[in-house]
Amino acid sequence: MKIKVPPQTPVEGEVLTPDNLAGRSINEILNLETFRGNRRVKLSELFTVEGESASNPSDLHLILEGDLRKVRHIGARMSAGKITINGPVGTFVGFEMSGGTIVVNGDADAFVGMGMSGGVIEVNGNAGDAVGSGYWGTRCGMRGGLIVVKGNVGAEVGLWMKGGTIRVGGNADVFTGVRMQGGTIFVAGNVGAKLGAAMVDGKIVVLGTVPNILPSFYIDEIRSNTKVDGDKIQGPFYVFYGDITEGGNGKLFISVEKNQHLKYREAYLL
Amino acid sequence: MKVINAVLCPGCGSLCDDNEVYVEDNKIVKVKTECAISASKFLNYNKERNTKPLVRVDGQLKPTTLEDAVERVARMLVEAEYPLLYGWSLTSCEAQKKGVELAEEVGGVIDNTTTVCHGPSILGVQDFGDPTCTLGEVKARADLVIYWGCDPSSAHPRHMKRYSSLIKGKFRTPEQRKVVVVDVRKTPTARNANLFIQVKPNQDYELITALKMLLQNEEIEEQEVAGVPVEQIEELAELMRSCEFGMLFFGLGLTMSEGKDRNIDAAITLVCELNKWTKFAIMPMRGHYNVTGANQVLTWQTGYPYAVDFSRGYPRFEPGDTTAVDVLSRGYNDATLVVASDPVANLPKDAVKHLCSKPLAVIDPHMSLTAFMADVVIPSTFVGIEEEGTAYRMDGVALLMKKIVDPPEGILSDAQILDLILKRVRELKKGR
Amino acid sequence: MEYLLKNGYVVDPVNKIDCERMDIAVKDGKIVESVDESKAKVIDVKNMLVMPGGVDLHSHIAGSKVNVGRLFRPEDHYKDYEVKSGVRRSGVGHSVPSVFTTGYRYAILGYTTVFEPATPPLKTLHTHDELNDIPIIDKACFPLFGNNWFVMESIRDDKLEECAAYVAWLMRTIKGYAIKVVDPGGVEAWKWGITSQDFDQEIPRFGITPRELVRGLVKVNKMLGLPHPVHLHCNQLGIPGNYKTTLKTMDAVKDLAAGDRPILHITHVQFNAYGGVDYLSLSSHADDIADYVNKNPHVTIDIGQVIFGDTTTMTADGPFEYKLFNLLRGKWANSDVEVETGAGVVPITYSRSNYVHAVMWCIGLELALLIKDPWRVFITTDHPNGGPFTEYPRVFSWLMSKKARERVLKRIPRLARVRTNLKDIDREYTFYELAISTRAATAKILGLNNKGHLGVGADADIAVYNINPKEVNPSTDYKLVRQAFSRAYLTMKDGEIIVKDGEIVAAPVGRTYWVNTRAPKDVEDVVIPEVKKRFKEYYTVEFENYCVPESYLAWSAPIQPLEPSGE
Repeated sequence: MKIKVPPQTPVEGEVLTPDNLAGRSINEILNLETFRGNRRVKLSELFTVEGESASNPSDLHLILEGDLRKVRHIGARMSAGKITINGPVGTFVGFEMSGGTIVVNGDADAFVGMGMSGGVIEVNGNAGDAVGSGYWGTRCGMRGGLIVVKGNVGAEVGLWMKGGTIRVGGNADVFTGVRMQGGTIFVAGNVGAKLGAAMVDGKIVVLGTVPNILPSFYIDEIRSNTKVDGDKIQGPFYVFYGDITEGGNGKLFISVEKNQHLKYREAYLL
Repeated sequence: MKVINAVLCPGCGSLCDDNEVYVEDNKIVKVKTECAISASKFLNYNKERNTKPLVRVDGQLKPTTLEDAVERVARMLVEAEYPLLYGWSLTSCEAQKKGVELAEEVGGVIDNTTTVCHGPSILGVQDFGDPTCTLGEVKARADLVIYWGCDPSSAHPRHMKRYSSLIKGKFRTPEQRKVVVVDVRKTPTARNANLFIQVKPNQDYELITALKMLLQNEEIEEQEVAGVPVEQIEELAELMRSCEFGMLFFGLGLTMSEGKDRNIDAAITLVCELNKWTKFAIMPMRGHYNVTGANQVLTWQTGYPYAVDFSRGYPRFEPGDTTAVDVLSRGYNDATLVVASDPVANLPKDAVKHLCSKPLAVIDPHMSLTAFMADVVIPSTFVGIEEEGTAYRMDGVALLMKKIVDPPEGILSDAQILDLILKRVRELKKGR
Repeated sequence: MEYLLKNGYVVDPVNKIDCERMDIAVKDGKIVESVDESKAKVIDVKNMLVMPGGVDLHSHIAGSKVNVGRLFRPEDHYKDYEVKSGVRRSGVGHSVPSVFTTGYRYAILGYTTVFEPATPPLKTLHTHDELNDIPIIDKACFPLFGNNWFVMESIRDDKLEECAAYVAWLMRTIKGYAIKVVDPGGVEAWKWGITSQDFDQEIPRFGITPRELVRGLVKVNKMLGLPHPVHLHCNQLGIPGNYKTTLKTMDAVKDLAAGDRPILHITHVQFNAYGGVDYLSLSSHADDIADYVNKNPHVTIDIGQVIFGDTTTMTADGPFEYKLFNLLRGKWANSDVEVETGAGVVPITYSRSNYVHAVMWCIGLELALLIKDPWRVFITTDHPNGGPFTEYPRVFSWLMSKKARERVLKRIPRLARVRTNLKDIDREYTFYELAISTRAATAKILGLNNKGHLGVGADADIAVYNINPKEVNPSTDYKLVRQAFSRAYLTMKDGEIIVKDGEIVAAPVGRTYWVNTRAPKDVEDVVIPEVKKRFKEYYTVEFENYCVPESYLAWSAPIQPLEPSGE
């Protein structure tokens, strides 16, 4: 499906999932309604559609093309199948998804994978704030599945995360892994301040630099390597545990080589 | 000349209600108050005031009739696919209710200035709750008052004299109270405090973390945190632990520095933690006199306190996407109505750029910067001076603001103007 | 507008009508003897149940703490929303619904009168602001007095007449309806960080006990002739072993009773009927409470039934909420209100498999089933503390069907079954008893003479349910009961059709009742200036600004107090 004209007002993309489109003919799909701003519009008004649908969601591959920066909630609650987005995409990609795969060949906005419980999201670009977080007030972020961002992510990646894995190819901003309750975050690049704040469980691995470690994390040991989802990652790593103020059992694996300014913490090794 | 007592001040979130205003020939001639903000509000409100509806013709703002202005605003809203209705903090709850009704009717987004001020506080509350009290409790019992990231001497001038450290309460005299200020620089409030802690910019979170650790008797493996020597942090922790009733007031120093809502997360959970040892409460220093009211009204009518999106016919709340700054920065909206606020003066550059590139209507008694950029301007009355109305104090106490003088001929209140717009919107929608 | 509801099975306990086929005539908002069938709109409600509109005397629907609940639970709302349509404004549920949704959902249940049972006087302008916005239902609010400095000081100094004058002034000034007491003295103690207050223990720095406080207010209530008894939430709520406090409290005012009018209403007793020494040993003492209530006509109660699922607890009992927060370690809101009272809000999920919750669930139903006189026990969930009011029909089905109860009992922990009495109770409510407990009796105890019945002169607040009492056996067909009561076939308010087949068709403004109380002028002339003086010392608002003007109420419906009965 190719977007005809990038919309000026936000388009509701919830309808764009294999679950919703499976078992419908192209004509039926064109007649499905969604919102552009407060107007009800048919998909035919927004998109041109080619190809064929499938009867089973797991067999359906939806390819979206164009500037989709103002299309929100694409892939919401999807349970199977694949969506490939060729272009920049709007907020809440993969909102509360439980299965299937979403690939974004471009930049994603904020709230990628909010409330996710399963499936895979791959962003071959940058992503915005709060990747893998949860709806406000739920105190529960991503529970399962895999999110991979090749580029950078914004602040608060993995906020309230309970399970699953987030891999970041580039850098992450402040509060990476804040309020984490489980799962794994892997950052190949640098992270911002307040890493792992208020974490109670889970694991964060950082190959790049971290400006400081909160006073509520104690150094545990120096490890030569670690594993992320079975993949061996070469260290050596400073291993910190915390957040002490939450009675936490979370672990931070910080590259020794890139973080010599943390060397003074070695004095506190038992 | 007559004197009107117990007048509420339409100034800051302290909402002092004991002002004495002297009126002669429908003009305010004198105000008995020790607060500069209050005096200015009552004596200068008429300065740079707009009294004519205006419409932009050939690039210039020209006078027009109220009917014409209302018609244009109504059309603008009905034609828009995603209108933004923003502001709301400097007007009455009655007007805010009309705003909600209008936003619902036109399927737009309604947001108030919380979004740039204490939005993070609300987000913190949504994750953790809110151990708080009314201001009279502070007056009655507090023996430790902490001002964190705020400067009441400048922004809430009577706060300490009326509510916290400089007043006698049932159980506490001023001598029995201690004041602590935590800020990035020595503010006027800090100069008179018992303890001033200078925190490194953007490291309030680290400082609160250190406090939590000390309260839990955990070792801090550093000499200093956030630029504060650990001994000083220990001093503060001890003050907090050993008081009988502690109060933490906080402001934009926490909400708008790095971390934002995570800073408030930290502050709220710190206060929850402190309740294990002693009685402690927290309260945001709300800036505008009725921004609290905007949150309250929006919450009971829609379930959410700000950033409410009605485009799908029911209230949706996704702050970071439905918040005004984000709506504007992403260029979502295609029209804006601004009521009782001045976003052009306050919002980030990108947001303002988009704001001015789309149809813009303003309802405001002043010619604000936003009004100068608008396509339609409708003048309104001043709540609390020319108009009665409900307002909510920073601690959630609702009070009725008085009408002191009559407004100029032909000027209606925000609520009345919104009502006219709403009626016209409904007619236009029926016609479509 | 004239209506004739024909051929329905009417249940009207006040007028002793029990499922009789009768026509109900409505004219100008009232029930009348008859109408001209040729002129009136005739609605055939053949084979349906016709009852007076529901009267809920205890439901947290408006005010500061309710709004805190709404504000800090966006997750409660985002999956339960209502789209704007026709006369219906949009809104959200689930346990803390927005105001429009509250009114609509109550009307759909066939309820037409709902009272907010706890408002801090200082924040009552807020309560009225919200009540004004709740469509359709008639409402009122109960100001809190049980931790009020003026009240405690005057009772301590044995100045009961002055206390009465203060209460009278406060009630009419902020437009309240009844004296509400929550955790007497306990919230004041909590303001010093103390989390437990015993009934016979001195309140810190005030020199009186809750017992003296409650007795004082019961006397004041009589002096002022308020239509509703003192509405009391006991000390030690939620604490294992607290049934003893409840018994003590009820007995403490027994000697003050005169005639057969109840003088004390204890609310959501389920939370106060616990045995055991800790939560592991929690047990039911509903039988002891029921026994006392059966033998002593001076008290009424409402049950506060628990519903399994997610909900929000909210109460003026700040210390209790702090303790709950420590148990659950989730979110916690607290708001102490100067001079007067406090509040706390904590979300909770009641789980069938949780021993404590299961025992609580049993206790509420035991109370309703063991207390013999349906005129003195009322069905509530203490919305939203036990569960959302939208679940009332589920409670009805449990009360009317042992089979429905057994279905749940099968799935709760065995030990919870063993330590409670519910499994051994066979009693099943009839439609008649249901109508008493949810309409007739609640209207009566509130002193609302025109509500809760369908006699001539009553307000035409009528609920019609699509269930045939002659054919349906609620004992076995409890699912039908639940379905029928979840969506009224017809709800009428003041003679106007509000709900048609479960849909809202009109949303007029409802009344706000309040009692225009007065004390003898000579006493008021002494007390009010004294109160004014103390205002400056105690409060942070001006005396003048404390008032809620009558014009503030969308539809003010003042009630005159009854003839005061002597001391």
